[in-house]
Amino acid sequence: MMKALGSSRLSRRRFLTASASLGIGTIAAPYVARADDPTLRITGWGGKWGEIMKAEIGPAFESEFKCKLQIDSAFPYLPKLQASSRSAPIYDVLHTNSNEQWAAAEMGLVEPKIDPKLVPNLADVYPYAVSDKIVGVSIFTSAIGLGLRTDKGYGSITSWKELWDAKYNGVRGGYVIPVNSLGQAFLMMCGTLFGKGQTDLDAAYTALEKLKPIKIVDFTGAMEKMLLSGEVGLCVIHDSGIYRYDGQNQPTDFVSPSEGVLSLEQVLTITPGSKMKELANAYVNYMLRPEVQKRLAETVWYSPANKKVKLDAKYDAKLLTTPEKVSKLIQVDWKWYNERKDEIDQRVNRIFRA
Amino acid sequence: MQTTASHSPSLAAARQAAPARTAGSVRHYGRYLYLAVNIAILIFLLAPIAIVVVFALNPTPFIQFPPVGVSLRWFEKFFASRDFMHALGFSLEVAVLTTIAATILGASAALALARGNLPGARLIVATMLSPLMLPAILTGLALFQTYVLLDVGRPTWGLVAGHTLVTLPYVVRTTLAVLHNFDTRLEEAAQNLGASPLRTFFEVTLPLIKPGVLAGAIFAFIVSFDQFPVSLFLVSPGNETLPVTLFNYLKFDLDGTIGAASVVSIVLAFVVVIGLDRTVGLRSYVKL
Repeated sequence: MMKALGSSRLSRRRFLTASASLGIGTIAAPYVARADDPTLRITGWGGKWGEIMKAEIGPAFESEFKCKLQIDSAFPYLPKLQASSRSAPIYDVLHTNSNEQWAAAEMGLVEPKIDPKLVPNLADVYPYAVSDKIVGVSIFTSAIGLGLRTDKGYGSITSWKELWDAKYNGVRGGYVIPVNSLGQAFLMMCGTLFGKGQTDLDAAYTALEKLKPIKIVDFTGAMEKMLLSGEVGLCVIHDSGIYRYDGQNQPTDFVSPSEGVLSLEQVLTITPGSKMKELANAYVNYMLRPEVQKRLAETVWYSPANKKVKLDAKYDAKLLTTPEKVSKLIQVDWKWYNERKDEIDQRVNRIFRA
Repeated sequence: MQTTASHSPSLAAARQAAPARTAGSVRHYGRYLYLAVNIAILIFLLAPIAIVVVFALNPTPFIQFPPVGVSLRWFEKFFASRDFMHALGFSLEVAVLTTIAATILGASAALALARGNLPGARLIVATMLSPLMLPAILTGLALFQTYVLLDVGRPTWGLVAGHTLVTLPYVVRTTLAVLHNFDTRLEEAAQNLGASPLRTFFEVTLPLIKPGVLAGAIFAFIVSFDQFPVSLFLVSPGNETLPVTLFNYLKFDLDGTIGAASVVSIVLAFVVVIGLDRTVGLRSYVKL
């Protein structure tokens, strides 16, 4: 008995060997796991989008395509992609808003177009989703319009220009333009409303100057809360930021101005250096499937890009689900905008700093 | 003359008493001023925490003053969220590993720098403190690029290494401060009495520098647990720390859950500090 115990005693050599094996095993484990499963590395949003992707949409994709989906929901995506090697990018599929996609495309970090032969569902999307204003494909869009408190007696609103009405002084809401896509799109809209078009920056700057006093925030989530609390009465916002409180009895509503609504696209692109091209194309195609589009659209109140999607009546009534409704969308020329972003940032910072 | 003579002593007394009264009232007002400044500093320090607590306990999904009631719904949401719980656990794991690594490396480095007669010791100290000078976001980006170049991905040990880098200066600094006042004759006495260098270290040196090492360890834990800029680039999908998870959350949902998470973080930091005080004694450091 004593001998048996003695033989099982841990010698120094055995301890060192075991420790080294454990260490090597720990370090090598991720690589071994990586070698076993093809892994598709993508980016994605947090909030409700992230929840349903983790709970349903992602696992269903993994099961069907026998792969692992690694979703990075920690911003910022573009600097991470920039910092990684072009031949071995950190992501296979980049999911961001359109302005960032254009910046990525300009740097050669993403492929400018998706091949329709490899993504058959591309044939069923609305034209805006693959227009010349889009890099890759827009899988969803939100409509940027006006958010209104319905309990303040402001009356009905039909035009963007009503945001400049003096009665909204002190309760008007906008964004920190350099860091917010909605703010940037709105600046272009100001050029259309008061000048010769989206690119009339002088008219846009003058219009922004006249918007003061205005409460500005970084994130749309913050704007939603300011509207809910009554801190702002009329603000620039996307429809999903209002509709997501549907059924909660909130005194807020979304207004689609007569001049049209700006589109806030959810865009997918594939990185040129991806080693998982086939799987990446399969993922884009999967995200455009009518059933996947319907599930996501009805969870996060985004308008689906696939024409064949049939939403339940409640969602169908509010989202952009017909060619007529989609024709109201105004797309921003992000390529043009990004080329002038530094200059625009400096100017709008001067305007709102005062 | 008589009048003058009769008034002279009282005038002299009055003249003597006046400065005394003035000095007394200056001391009196000085005390009030001192109290007022301290209260102002306390309010400045505690007001953000108070606002966070009010936000966390307010039932409305937005910040509202005055609060309309008291509710634990955001705490329930926080503790029921698998993402938040995982992030909290992961943050604690990273903070503990970082504290261990930074404490061992930092204390050893401080000892070597204070005792080793190293050439260019001052330059080495300055270099070791340099992570504090560099914006942490750049440290994170630089490490991220290094890991990408090495093709190691974004492993947990990489995140711990990043946190160790930014917490190391705290341990080095606090340990060096204690070593500065250290009486080396105590070690000599121990060795003269037959103690080996190892025994001298564990029985004389370590107990004496413990307060500095411990203070550095506490800094390391808190800085790591709250670390955001370095983590932003180094967290991997599915393994996000609490500050990164909170940042991503508030981009989409700015509700009281953020406040509840902040309250939990504050309470945890308190628990760690008080726990260390009770187990290893912070008070001895305060005496220094």
